[in-house]
Amino acid sequence: MSIMAYNGGAVVAMKGKDCVAIAADRRFGVQLQTIGFDAERIFRVSDSLFVGIPGLATDTQTVHERLRFRTNMYELRENRKVTPKVLSSMVSNFLYEHRFGPYFVEPVVAGLDPKTHVPYLCAFDLIGCPNEPEDFVVSGTCEEQLYGMCESLWKPDLSPEDLFETISQALVNACDRDAISGWGAKVYIIEKDKVTVKSVRTRMD
Amino acid sequence: MIKTTRFSYPEVENGPMQRHFSPYTDNGGTIVAIAGKGFAVIASDTRLSSGFSIYTREQPKVQQLNDWTILGCSGCWCDVLTLKRLMEARIKLYRHEHNRAMSTGAIAQMLSTMLYYKRFFPYYVSNVLAGLDEEGNGVVYSYDPVGHCEKSTFHAGGSSGALIQPFLDSRVRALIQPFLDSRIGNKNLTPDAIPKEPLTLDEALRVVKDTFISAAERDIYTGDGVLIKIVTPEGVREESFPLRHD
Amino acid sequence: MASASERYSFSLTTFSPSGKLVQIEYALAAVASGAPTIGIKATNGVVLASEKKHKSLLYDGTSVWKIESINPYIGMCYSGMGPDYRLLVKTARKAAQSYELMYGERIPTVQLVQRVASVMQEYTQSGGVRPFGVSLLICGWDDDKPYLLQCDPSGAYFPWKATAMGKNFISGKTFLEKRYKDDIELEDAIHTAILALKESFEGQMTPENIELGIVTKDGFRRLNVGEVKDYLANVL
Repeated sequence: MSIMAYNGGAVVAMKGKDCVAIAADRRFGVQLQTIGFDAERIFRVSDSLFVGIPGLATDTQTVHERLRFRTNMYELRENRKVTPKVLSSMVSNFLYEHRFGPYFVEPVVAGLDPKTHVPYLCAFDLIGCPNEPEDFVVSGTCEEQLYGMCESLWKPDLSPEDLFETISQALVNACDRDAISGWGAKVYIIEKDKVTVKSVRTRMD
Repeated sequence: MIKTTRFSYPEVENGPMQRHFSPYTDNGGTIVAIAGKGFAVIASDTRLSSGFSIYTREQPKVQQLNDWTILGCSGCWCDVLTLKRLMEARIKLYRHEHNRAMSTGAIAQMLSTMLYYKRFFPYYVSNVLAGLDEEGNGVVYSYDPVGHCEKSTFHAGGSSGALIQPFLDSRVRALIQPFLDSRIGNKNLTPDAIPKEPLTLDEALRVVKDTFISAAERDIYTGDGVLIKIVTPEGVREESFPLRHD
Repeated sequence: MASASERYSFSLTTFSPSGKLVQIEYALAAVASGAPTIGIKATNGVVLASEKKHKSLLYDGTSVWKIESINPYIGMCYSGMGPDYRLLVKTARKAAQSYELMYGERIPTVQLVQRVASVMQEYTQSGGVRPFGVSLLICGWDDDKPYLLQCDPSGAYFPWKATAMGKNFISGKTFLEKRYKDDIELEDAIHTAILALKESFEGQMTPENIELGIVTKDGFRRLNVGEVKDYLANVL
């Protein structure tokens, strides 16, 4: 079994009209054995900027801590917030620094630009190759299922409410067809002046 | 002085050598089948490919076996052809021996047996069988390469199976017996959001088209076109539409 | 017996009883005897101006420059020792590039100055080295705003509206204090910079023996000899 699928888990993010959403399942397992259903794989970087880190759980936590170190240092040094683009660049560089002994994670950056409030999405492979599409990004063990769901459900310019419905349906139905993802989900809807966090119930098997 | 010709025998001089032959190849292709009250639809894309090259854009992977049963079959194309040929022969034999056409259920069982017969050198195919049962209602059977058979009302198989199946789970409802009370289909919806009426043929066709269009966006082994076979008690008819060609 | 000041003057990292690091004072003295450099921040840009006296009639001054660009929006000039300056230019360019590599956007001028300043500070506290014999004037444009900063051998840096460095910098500053207005425009600032240089200039000012560099919203560039000639014609 691939090391990327050792713990299981998935992250998906979508653009809407003046908003973005990022969602992840909550299962933490070791291969086929489920250990817990309170895993956190989406982390807040600043007011309207989040990073989701699916992959090997130990690397999820390490990468999060090391990114936190770098973003904190950046904000102190430059006396300003990291923008989504800057964070992307940092993540990409950070992962590529470990090109020959990588962290087994494929992060997703989602947020709004702090000045212009333009939605931004970016996904990376485990050595930092960035992918900045205009619609949605998926990552994790049920990537294929997520691609199928998102490709069918996503439309441009969704309102925050519709975006929540779309991303939840995409994640939950994709996870239901993956034995090592699911066990609840957390959805973040990021708007100009508010972030809504919702827990989504799923089948627990 | 006599000049002698020297031959070289690398096979002998260089010691033992190993040659490899891989009997399997993946030629891609996707099958989607949906069964409803009084109908079954089964569709495949029409791309036949290997790696990054396309052999043809016009090869459907659905095959009519009799007046009410259709087989969808993708994977290693040579295995597909062989399996299909053998099935057709066995169906003919049955016709002669029993003096009647095979029911969908009988074909389904036979397919499982034929696949398991090759348990240790399997056909590299993913099969989806769709048709009408004795009551004239739609039914879908899906298989793994070694003959595991599951009866259901919708299934996506082949290269885009993983992309399409969760979408079918969320959209297609199984309102025919014996699945009336089961938890299959219309997943993750609030009770009031689940439609009360049975799935119609038009709805099924729309879902099939949507899924293929979506799958062709992300799966390079699916594309070019779709052939849909629609089975009703009146007979079998076809529909087709184009998909992206890249 | 060495005099009191000499007793502390050879160790770079030893304070004198009065609380001074005399090696750094000497570095500042090297700067103060260097060629004059002027910087003026206008509403729509910044100008750097520097004197480039030729040491001999035979000297070809058209292929070495005192004003250098660090990236498309940041420029730099100096008073003091040329070789030290070129090392700092190299350091600054590398800092600018590695920032762009890391964050995917141009380095803010203040960030660049901080990085260069920290290198200069390192050279006041490390073993086997001496402080840089230069003060830098760094100008840049980011986020719709012009920036002008000075960076000293100690690693101290100052944001200026206008300043003078090098020989006669005190009279240069006095001149600028009298002439500077908050709403000055770049064309005016260029004239003022040339006049400020002229204050202490010995001999005839020519397009070959001064240098001008400007940064605007369109970026930083060094003015060519023809452009300098036109400005000089307007001033003189």
